Amino acid sequence: MAQLSDTGTSEETPVIDELRDEIVAKLRSDIGDAVIDVHQIPGVDLWVRVSADAWRAAGEALRAQGFDYFCFLSAMDWMPSPFGTGENDPTDEVEDDPSAAEVRQGYAGGETRFQMLARVTDLRRHVSITLKADVPESPDGSMSIASWISVYAGANWHERETHEMFGINFDGHPDLRNMYLPGDFEGYPLRKDFPLLARLVKPWPGIVDVEPMPASDDDEGDDS
Amino acid sequence: MTMLSERQQLSYIAAQAADARLNVELETEGMTLNIGPQHPATHGTLRIIARLDGEQVIWAEPSAGYMHRGYEKLTEVRTFPQVTALINRIDWLGSFANEVPFILAAEQLMEIEAPPRAQHIRTILFELSRIANVSLFLGDLGVQMGAVTPVFMAFRDREYVLNLIEGATGGRFHPNFDRIGGLKDDLPKGWLDETRQVMKKLRNFCDEIEDLLFGNEIFQSRTRGIGVIPADVARQYGLSGANLRASGVDWDLRRDQKLPLAYDKVDFRVWTHPDGDSWARCWIRLQEVREATKIVDQLIETLPPGPVMTKVPRIIKVPEGEAWVSTENPLGEMGYYVVSKGGLGPFRVKIRSASFNNISITPWVLKGVYVPDIITILASLYFILGDIDR
Amino acid sequence: MGLVDRGRLPAPLTKLFNIGRSYSMWVYQWGLACCAIEMGAAFGSPRYDVMRLGVIPLPASPRQADLVVVSGTVTDKMAPAVKRLYEQMPEPKYVISMGSCANCGGPYWDSYSVTKGVDQIIPVDVYVPGCPPRPEALLEGVVLLQQRIKHEDMGARWRGEGFKPIKRDSEPIVVGGGPIE
Repeated sequence: MAQLSDTGTSEETPVIDELRDEIVAKLRSDIGDAVIDVHQIPGVDLWVRVSADAWRAAGEALRAQGFDYFCFLSAMDWMPSPFGTGENDPTDEVEDDPSAAEVRQGYAGGETRFQMLARVTDLRRHVSITLKADVPESPDGSMSIASWISVYAGANWHERETHEMFGINFDGHPDLRNMYLPGDFEGYPLRKDFPLLARLVKPWPGIVDVEPMPASDDDEGDDS
Repeated sequence: MTMLSERQQLSYIAAQAADARLNVELETEGMTLNIGPQHPATHGTLRIIARLDGEQVIWAEPSAGYMHRGYEKLTEVRTFPQVTALINRIDWLGSFANEVPFILAAEQLMEIEAPPRAQHIRTILFELSRIANVSLFLGDLGVQMGAVTPVFMAFRDREYVLNLIEGATGGRFHPNFDRIGGLKDDLPKGWLDETRQVMKKLRNFCDEIEDLLFGNEIFQSRTRGIGVIPADVARQYGLSGANLRASGVDWDLRRDQKLPLAYDKVDFRVWTHPDGDSWARCWIRLQEVREATKIVDQLIETLPPGPVMTKVPRIIKVPEGEAWVSTENPLGEMGYYVVSKGGLGPFRVKIRSASFNNISITPWVLKGVYVPDIITILASLYFILGDIDR
Repeated sequence: MGLVDRGRLPAPLTKLFNIGRSYSMWVYQWGLACCAIEMGAAFGSPRYDVMRLGVIPLPASPRQADLVVVSGTVTDKMAPAVKRLYEQMPEPKYVISMGSCANCGGPYWDSYSVTKGVDQIIPVDVYVPGCPPRPEALLEGVVLLQQRIKHEDMGARWRGEGFKPIKRDSEPIVVGGGPIE
C-alpha cells in the first residue's frame, strides 16, 4: 500500500523492489524455465506463474527459500459466467458480445480456463508470493496436478476443498473426500457454469436503491 | 439425504481404523466415538470422529461442512457493497473485523484510501470486535473444563462491548458499517467517554478471569503440556493468530505489514509463548484482550478530526485487477483474494479464513491424546464454525 | 392422567395444566450459527435472565425438552440431524425458529447448500425474525409461545391432531408482526 499513501514527492522515481526481484531470481535459478511469467507491484505483492509440471517443484523451491508459512491453496475458473453477474437477471439472454465470453486471465497471464492459486509467506523477510499454474484439461474433461502435501502438510484440506469446488484432482493426495457437501452432491459449485438454481427460479430484482454516501452530506457530525 | 454419504464415511473410518489398529500389550477392542455435529463442546456444528484404543485416540478427524453456506460462490453474484453485508457472518463473533480486509482489498484495487479519521475508527472497532470475540472465548474456556461461572462473567462484560459497537454502528452483531472509501457514519456524541469506562471494566474482567481460571489448579493440569504444536508444524499448517504465537513464532500482521490502519500509531506488545501447548494458546489470548483494550485507549486519545468518507462514485465499480489483503483478526489471519473484472461485483473472492487452517491441524495434534483432552485442545485452538466452513 | 391420554379433559383442568406447562418449559438450544450466540446471551447471560419467564434452558438431552429453539443456518447436510432431533423430543413439543436463516434462508437465499427455512423439515410455532434477532426478540417469542400454550386444547394434541386452540384460532406467530400468509 506504500504507493497509495505517498504524498507525491516520490512519484517520479521508479520504485525498485530488490527483495522481490531477488526472490524471482532465486526461483528462476532453482526451477529454470518452469517460471513462465512474473507480475510484480513493487512494494506490494508478487505473482509468479509456473508450468503445471513444475507445480510441486516450485513449492519445494519456495519452501527451501524460506517461504515456510502456508497461507492458502485454491483454484480459479476464468471463464465468464454464462448466467451473468449479480446485477444481471440470470434468465435474460446474455448479449452476444464476444469479448464478454472470452476467457481472460489475470495477473501473470495464462492459457487455460482453470488455474491453480496458492500463497505462501516468508515470516522472516515479511514477504509473500502468490503462485499460479495453468491446469490443462485432458480430452475427457478431467484435470489433475501434483499434490502439495509432501511440501506443506497444511495443503491437505485445501486440496480437498479445491477438488470439491472445482473438480481438480491432486496426484498423491491420499483422500479426496468431500469436505463440505453431502457425498451425493452433483457438480462443482465454484465452476462458473454451475447454476444457482434459486436465482434462476426467482431472479434478483437488480439494483433498486443506492444508499446516499455520507460524504455527500454537508453537515458532518463531529463528536470529539 | 446424507445417509449415503455417512455410510460411506463410516466404512472409510472402519477401514482406516483396521489399518491403524494398535494392539500393544493388552488386546483391546477399538471403538469409534462420534462427537457432534451438535455438541456443547464444539462451539457449533463441528463433528469429530475419533477412533479410540481404550482412552487413547489413535485417529481423529473433524468432519466439517455442516455450516457450509457457499460464500465464495455467493460473492460472485453480489455487488461489492452487498458482499460486505454477507461476509460479516463468516466469523460471527468478530463481525467488523471480517469487513476490513475485504474493504481494504477493494480500496487497493480502486487506488483510494480512507481518510485518517476513518482509519482510526476502523482500528478502534476492529479491536472492539477482537475484545467481543476473545472475551467470549475466555468464558467458554471454563465451560469446556467444567467451570460454569466464567461464561456468565464473559456474557456480562461482553454486553458492554456490544453496546459500544451498537452505539457506533447500529448493529449489535453484524455492523455492516465499513464502506469502500471510509465509514458509514461518524461516532456518536459521548461514545469516547463511555469507551474509556468500558475498557476499564474489560481489564478488570481479564484480571478476574486470570485469577479464577488461569490460576486454577485443575485448569493448569488439564492444559499444561497438552496438545503441543511445534513451531515448524504450525507454520506448515498455516496456523495463525494466537495459535502461531503460542508456538513461539513472533508474527503479527498488525505490526508486520503496512496497511492503512492506525496500528503504526499505537504502542502495543505482541505476546509470544515458547511452549506451544493448550495453556500457551489460552494465555496468549488473555494477553491479547488486555493489549486490545490498551490499543483502544490510545486510539481514542489521538483520534484525528476530519471526514470519515472519501469521495467515491455513487455506483462503485472496481477496476480490473487482483488484490490480496489479510489482517490479524481475532481468530488469526483472515484474508481475501479479490479478483475484479471491472464490474459492479467481484469476479472471484477466495476467502482465507483463519479457523480453516487452524482446525486442519487437528488430525495431527489429536493423535495419541486422551479423550478428555480432545475437548481442551479444540477449545484452545479456538475456532468458529462459520469461519471453517464459510 | 388417563383422561388426557383418552383425549377427554374438562376445560378448567386443561386450563390448569396449560398454566403449569407454559411456565415450566425445558428449552433445548439447537444453536447453529450467529444466532446461537444471541440465544446464548438470552438464555445464559445474567442480563436477560430467561428463568424469570419460567423457562429452563439446560436440559440434558432433546428427550427431556419441551421446546427447541432452532437458531441459525440449516444446511442440507445438517437437515437430517435437525429432523432426527425433532423426532427424539417427546410430545407435546414446540419449535421456535430464530433468525432469518432458519425462517427462510435469509442472506443465503440463493445458496446451493442452505435449506431455505427450517419449516421445510419440521413444523414451526413461532418465527423470530432478525439477522440475528436481539435477545429481547427471542424472549418475546418465548412469551408469545407461552400465551399460545395457555389456549391449547391438550386433548387434541394427544389425539395426534396437532395444535387446536380452545378459544380463538391461531396461526404461526411472527414476533413483531401479524400472522403470516
